[in-house]
Formats: sequence, structure tokens, C-alpha cells
Amino acid sequence: MKTDTTPFFVGYFKVPKKLRKFLLSAGILLVACLTVFGLLIGSTQDDPGNGAFRFDYGRQTVTGVIENLPYPLLHVTEGNDRIKAGETLMLAAGGKMGVMARTSGFSGQQIVASGVLLERGDLNMLQLRGGRQGLRMAEGDGTEMIWEPPVSEPLGRWRIAGEICDGKCLAGAMRPGRGLAHKACANLCLIGDIPPVFVSSQPIEGTEYLMVVDKDGGPLPKAAYDYVAQFISLEGEIERHGDILVLKMDADTIEVLP
Amino acid sequence: MNSAELLFAITQYWLIIGGVVAALFLVVGIDRIDEDARGAYVFRPLLIPGILLIWPIVLWRWWSLESGSYDPESRYKPVRAAHKVIALGMFIAVVGITSIGLSVRQQWPADYVPQKLSEPVEASE
Amino acid sequence: MSVKYIPVQWNNNKYYYDAFMLAGVVGFLWFFLHVSPEVLSHERPINPQVHNARAFGACAFLMLSIILAIGPLARLDRRFMALLYNRRHFGVMTACVAMTHAGYILNWYWAFSSSNKYEALLFSNTSFGQFAGFPFEIFGIVALICLLVLAATSHDFWLRFLGAPLWKRVHYLIYIAYISVVAHVSLGILQDQQNHVFTAIFLVSAIVVAGLHVLAVLHERKAGDPAGAVNTEGWVTVCKPDDIVEARARIAVLPNGDRVAVFRLEGKLSAISNACSHQNGPLGEGKVIRCLVTCPWHGYQYRLTDGQSPAPFTEKIPTYRLAIQDGVIMVDPDANPPGTYVEPVEIPS
Repeated sequence: MKTDTTPFFVGYFKVPKKLRKFLLSAGILLVACLTVFGLLIGSTQDDPGNGAFRFDYGRQTVTGVIENLPYPLLHVTEGNDRIKAGETLMLAAGGKMGVMARTSGFSGQQIVASGVLLERGDLNMLQLRGGRQGLRMAEGDGTEMIWEPPVSEPLGRWRIAGEICDGKCLAGAMRPGRGLAHKACANLCLIGDIPPVFVSSQPIEGTEYLMVVDKDGGPLPKAAYDYVAQFISLEGEIERHGDILVLKMDADTIEVLP
Repeated sequence: MNSAELLFAITQYWLIIGGVVAALFLVVGIDRIDEDARGAYVFRPLLIPGILLIWPIVLWRWWSLESGSYDPESRYKPVRAAHKVIALGMFIAVVGITSIGLSVRQQWPADYVPQKLSEPVEASE
Repeated sequence: MSVKYIPVQWNNNKYYYDAFMLAGVVGFLWFFLHVSPEVLSHERPINPQVHNARAFGACAFLMLSIILAIGPLARLDRRFMALLYNRRHFGVMTACVAMTHAGYILNWYWAFSSSNKYEALLFSNTSFGQFAGFPFEIFGIVALICLLVLAATSHDFWLRFLGAPLWKRVHYLIYIAYISVVAHVSLGILQDQQNHVFTAIFLVSAIVVAGLHVLAVLHERKAGDPAGAVNTEGWVTVCKPDDIVEARARIAVLPNGDRVAVFRLEGKLSAISNACSHQNGPLGEGKVIRCLVTCPWHGYQYRLTDGQSPAPFTEKIPTYRLAIQDGVIMVDPDANPPGTYVEPVEIPS
């Protein structure tokens, strides 16, 4: 008759000597592997970019003129230490909300805007405070309210490559604030009327960030949502508004890059 | 109501019904169909999440035990044949999905030079 | 095996098991979250919510991979079978880690909007017609639901209530969960990441887990239980008595697909169902300890003569009639009702 040599063990027995070493090594290997993997994966996370809320600058209050494109731009006419007159800011409300509805009545008018700055390279956005504290008509004798909108300078039709992002996360509301893993969040921001921003592969007329509108000047076309956060090339008219470039994207020309 | 709202509402109702089933089952049912549960109360709250999630199966099994339509012999018919299908299916799925994932990965087009296609139309006087 | 159900069963070995598991999880998360930022040379840090979400997500993936590897490893090398015991604690822990990952993600990416965050999760990305940019969150949701169902039905009550075969079928969701997680990662962070360390760890883990399952199937084909030949009276051949090691069994597959385990103890033979009533573990791979057949998976015990667990336990398994004809063990393929007494057959000397 054959004899029994395989050790037999179930969890509630005392561990046989033969198996003890094996199980101990398996346990130590498990802990060691997980710890090393934690360190390895954790220490190889990609740089999320340098965008950020500049709470360190304190609250910024500037006077300027609203241009609705339909996403509003604020052309600063009376700045402060940080934001100079002549600069142009994109605007957003708190959270994933734009301010299109709030600014629609202020087209071409001089207003006082107040909030916190988001900054990523030469991309600037002001997150307005709620209600009148964030956005109100400028007070004055009425003479300074007459204002000439800055001449928009057409720069021709271009074919450019890059990525459609939501301007706010990109500017630093989230780090990382772009890329496919962030796509649903970007879509949600864009649905909430946060201005979309195209990040170009290389600078165009000095900047790699362009605010995006539809080719007829409306908000981001529905067709663009499927391509948000993907690397694409597309055509469109580019215009300069203040110191911001605006891309009037032609959704029919989108090509997904390899 | 869009489909997201619909799915969210369905989930809510699913869990609400699950809560009712959990209450009924843990107060009334469990003592009737499992003698080991009689007099054991501390473990019962632990069953609530399971009932919330799979309450239709709970109701069905409860009914089959109460009505006597449950075949006790079926306990000894292990499901072993499925292993082969699952192992092969999982291998194909894992290899397929990771290959798709790797193949659609994009590279940032750092070398793409923006091209000006045409000069602006001089019409803005 | 509980007489009266209690919330969680522990013993010394389970404490060791859980201690190793917790040490691994805490080690992973601590090094990921607290040591690695020192090493990263980012101008500005990753948002803590995203950093936490990544740590917990990667941890859940690795834990799930380890759990899934234990099964086929145990079939390839019996020593790993010891790790099957208490695997449910590992599973419940994994579900908790995965849930934490989901919580961080949900309360970050879908918070701060005017919409309900659960609805926003479902409607914010609807690019279902493409691979890159596909709403990969769906796969995460599917996997999480599977893991929650598994964790929530891991108590022994569910095994008894549903019966092992149905319970096992429900717990096959683990494979759906794993495939979904692989899709979730492949179409999610894999698309974004520029550093490929995680990509490599992910791909190797997934291929190893899937590969081990295929190896186990191949092993089973080679070294699996033999089908017994049927004689003219319809009885099934198992083996010669001397092929069976004392206190162990030989398994044969019956014509209807069921398996019978023939045990040898002190010169006598008994035949019982190979399926344990707890999780349908392979009793025939177990051992007789103090006259009781002990299941190799969780140690449920049965008397050889009548397939009943000793009092106060109440589990029962079917028994089989057997005989020795021309020096070969034959089994009647029609099982007796669970708990039926069968007189052990003496081996002629």
C-alpha cells in the first residue's frame, strides 16, 4: 500500500512544519511586493502641470468690459498690481459653472469683477464670487462707460493639432486637469458653460492656449464633445480678442491623430 | 427624463425594495427557512447589504424553500464545467482588451506645426 | 460549520492571514501616498483626491489580481490551497479599497456641478462609439457592483441559503469584475499615463492572472479526475484498492458528470460524494482525520459511513454503494440520499 506523504492542512489546524516556511515566505513576499509596488507606482506619477488657483494672490478686483463670444471675456480697463489694464481674462463661476448667463446683460459694459485667479502659463481665468459681489456695473458719472470694444484681429484660417480641454480644470482647478482619464469631468465642465480651451501642439502667435467657439460664433458644438481630451487636428478661423486667441472651430474638419 | 436620471431612479427603487425585502426576510423569513439562524441575531445586520443588492434571488430562494420546490439534491452538483470556458474566455478578453487599449493610445503631437491655410479676409472696416 | 451564525469567524491562522494582508495594503498605500511625493519632482502636487484615488485604485487592482491567482495556483501546487482558506476576508477588504477609490473619484470629478453627481457620472461622457475616449467609468461601476455583491454575500449564511452551486454561480461575477477592471484601466489611465511603470505592472499582472487560469485548465486536463468505465450492470470502475493511500481517496467521474470519492481507512473502503456541502470543495482531495473526512478547502468534516457531519453540525452529503469485483472497486452511480448509511467494504487481504 502507498504511504501518505503530502502534508494536509486546513485553516483551523496547527500549520505543519513543512508548510510553515512556505506560507511564511508567501506572506512576506505579498507584503514586500505590495510595498515595493506602492513605492514604484506612486513615485512614477506624471507631472500634473503647473496650473493652480492663486489663493496666495488674494482676492482680485478689477474693472473691465465684458465681451460675450458667447463665452465671456473680460477686457481689463483698470487693473491692480497683479492684473494690468489691457489684459484679457476668461471667466467662470465657482464649481463646474460658467458665467454666460450672468454676463449676458453686460455686453460691452464696464463692470467690476471680483474673484480668485487661476493661472497656467499665459492662461488666466478669473473665478467670480457669487452674485453682485462677483460681478456688478461699474459706478461712475457715466462718461467712462462709453467704451470702444477692442478691435478683434482676424488671423486667418489655420489647421492646428492638440486637445480640447475645459478651461477651468486646465487652468488649475484640477491637477491633472486634462487627458482622457479626466474626459468625463471636462465634458461636465463644458456642459456647465465653462469656456473650452484648445491646447495647441506648438504656440500660435505666441500662445498655445486658444478659447474655442463654434465656427458661427456659438458655444462649443455638440459634435466636439466626442473629441474632448483626445489628440486631434482641426481647422478654424483664429481671431485675436485682446490678448486671447479665439478659435472658431470647424467640427467637420476634425481628424483624430495616431 | 434622460437615461441617466432613469438609471439613477431605477437604482433608488431597487435599493428601496431591497430594504423592504431585507426587513421582511430578517424579521420573519430567516427563522422559517434556516434553523441555524434561530436565536442568532448579531449576524443579521451583516446580511442587509447582500439583500439590498440581490433581493430578487433572495425572494426566489425564500419562496422555493417555503413552497418545497427546492431540490436539496441540487446542492451536490458542483459547477465545475464552467471553469474551462471562463479561463479561456478571460484570457481572450484580457489579451484583447489590453491590446485594444495599447493600440488606441495616442502620442501628444509635439512635432505638429500649426499651418496657416489662408490669410484673413479683409472685410472688417 | 457554524452551529449558530456569528458575524465573523476568526482563529489564530486567520489573524495571521489578515495581518499579512493588512500589512500589504497599508504598506502599498503608505508608500504610495506618503513616501512617493518626496521622490516626485512636480512643480505643483497632484490633487490629494486624485492621488488617493490612484493609490486605492491601483491597490484594489493588485489585490484582485492576487485573489484571482490563488485559485489556479492551488490547483497547480497544492501548497497554495492553504491560502484559499480565509480568502473571503481578502475579498471583502478589496471591495472596501475599491469603494474608497470610487468615492474619491465620484466626489471629485462629478462633484461641484449643479447636477446630481450619480446622474452626472452617467451622462457626462456618452462617447460609446469609440475606444479612446469611451466612458471607461462604466467598467469601473460594473466591477464595483460585482465586488460589492461578492463581499455582501460572503457570509456562510449565503452559502447555506443559496446552496453552493448557485452561490458559486453568483461568485463567478469575480471574473466579470476582473475583465471590467482590465477594461477600466486599459481605456482609462493607460491612455493618459506617460510614465509606463504602472502600465508594465498592470499588463504583467493581468496576463499572469489570465495565464494561470489557462495553465490550471491544461493541468486539469492532464492530471484531472479520470472518468470511470461502466460495466454491464451499470456500475462504475474506480481503481484497485491498493491504489488508494491510507486515509485518502481516489476520485472518479460518473457518467452523469458527478464525482465520487472512494476513501480507504483501516482496511475498509467507503464511497461518498466528492462535493462538500459547504462550497462544493473536492472532498476526495481531503484526508480522513480522526475517522472524519476533512474537506481541503475549509475543513468541513463528514463521517465516512453516512456522509453526516458529527453533532452538533448538521451538514450531509450523498453516499454511494460500492463493491469489489475481481480486485477492482466498483461504485453504483446512483447516489444515496444525503446522510444514508452504507456499510464500509472490507478489502480482502
